Amino acid sequence: MKSGVLFVNRLGEILLFLGEVLKTLWKRPCKLELVLEQVWHVTIQSFPTTAMAGFFVGGIMTVQFAMLVSEFGASAYLGGLATSATIREIGPMLIAFMLSGKVGAFTSAELGTMKVTEQIDAIRCLGADPIQEIILPRFLGIIISSFFLLTGGLMLSVIGGSTLGILFAGINPQEYVRHIPTILGFPSLMSGLVKCMSYALVLATICTFMGYFTTGGAKGVGRSVVNTSVLTMVTIVVFDWGTSFLGQLLMSWFAVG
Amino acid sequence: MIQYKKLIKSFGTRTILKGIDLHIKAGEIVFILGTSGTGKSVLLKNTVGLMKPDSGEIWIDDENVTDFTEQEFLPVRKKCGMVFQHPALFDSLSIYENIAFGLRKHFSLPESEIKERVEQALSLVNLENVLAKRPGEISYGMQKRVSLARTVVLRPKVLLFDEPTTGLDPVTTNSVNSLIQNLSRKLNTTSMVVSHDMHCALKIADRIVVLDQGQIVEQGTPQELLRSQVPLVRDFLAEARDLL
Repeated sequence: MKSGVLFVNRLGEILLFLGEVLKTLWKRPCKLELVLEQVWHVTIQSFPTTAMAGFFVGGIMTVQFAMLVSEFGASAYLGGLATSATIREIGPMLIAFMLSGKVGAFTSAELGTMKVTEQIDAIRCLGADPIQEIILPRFLGIIISSFFLLTGGLMLSVIGGSTLGILFAGINPQEYVRHIPTILGFPSLMSGLVKCMSYALVLATICTFMGYFTTGGAKGVGRSVVNTSVLTMVTIVVFDWGTSFLGQLLMSWFAVG
Repeated sequence: MIQYKKLIKSFGTRTILKGIDLHIKAGEIVFILGTSGTGKSVLLKNTVGLMKPDSGEIWIDDENVTDFTEQEFLPVRKKCGMVFQHPALFDSLSIYENIAFGLRKHFSLPESEIKERVEQALSLVNLENVLAKRPGEISYGMQKRVSLARTVVLRPKVLLFDEPTTGLDPVTTNSVNSLIQNLSRKLNTTSMVVSHDMHCALKIADRIVVLDQGQIVEQGTPQELLRSQVPLVRDFLAEARDLL
């Protein structure tokens, strides 16, 4: 019961914080160069991780599907199935996990340190709004770069799937590619992109919230980093279910319509 | 200048400030002494709106600022500069940009004037040739001075120091204490210094206020404090004598 109340309380705090950030974005947007600086930092910092994760996630899916489809003599559909599953489900989620460990942890540690060393109080005392000055650029920077990193990671997952499939599973390249457009339709692509966008929003909100409300010195910073990673991953899984469910609902609705 | 009326502040079930009544006169250097957790820093943070009191009033220059919004606090923060326990410098900015930060936010000045005022503030804290450096490239003592320069560059009427000598070696502690005294006199500011250091308070304070468990247990000039019979004050004095 108590943990349920705490959960609802925390959820409310996060939503209020998100509202405050969006209100600041609307009323007092931050400087564009601050956002671009963050986009640059986050992208450079995380591209190798997401690229590698994407490449091998594609590979894993191909290997797993290769074993299944060969049993049913449906190897021709391997490329389409592996790519669709990667783009719709596993790819965005696993790459977002990587990002939460990398970008999320870094941002909450950075903001948490600023909080416990009174830099955020100093910003307020010097006449600036910390949400506008330090939260908003990071929030927008993470959303923009995470979206690019996730979509980039997904592209690499397709390349990884085909390359590793060709090299290690003896798959015919033409056969692999032929059925990708048939199975991976526009809805699948959109579903992947919507997921990327929503995960980016989850990551940006949680890591800036955790960092901004850090208390308790170095130990508090450590706690914020751990909480950011755990909460982001759990929320991403819940969002994955939510977006999949909604996607199915919409698709069946359109199909009936 | 600054007046606290029956100020109460709690965190959860723990009451930190239990009805503080205090009046700081213009031009005074007032030291707030007390053991850790007695609410000294909380008192300063309430003054500039970084925290809100649960009840009571805070008056600055005949203006009740207790319920001011963040926006309404802007002119108050221009008037009352705060030097934090940590240097609280922004790591990503150069020393020059750190000191100029408040000037850019509070005023619209031409770059030439900003540069002039930054250099002036830096010379007030006896520092030079550090403008292009980052906070990580200078010593902790120098960072404390830069933090002081960042506050005085705004030419505040009130300076609030939160444990300004914590973490400093004795030599740097002495120089920071002299700086506090010199700056307060030179700039004709009112200063409130939160500290544990009775030795320094006896040397430079006009008045010393001793807090214990959220209440004022003693206040007076250094000479008056020397005659105090309050046990906590006697402990502080004994420790100060040990240092001599």
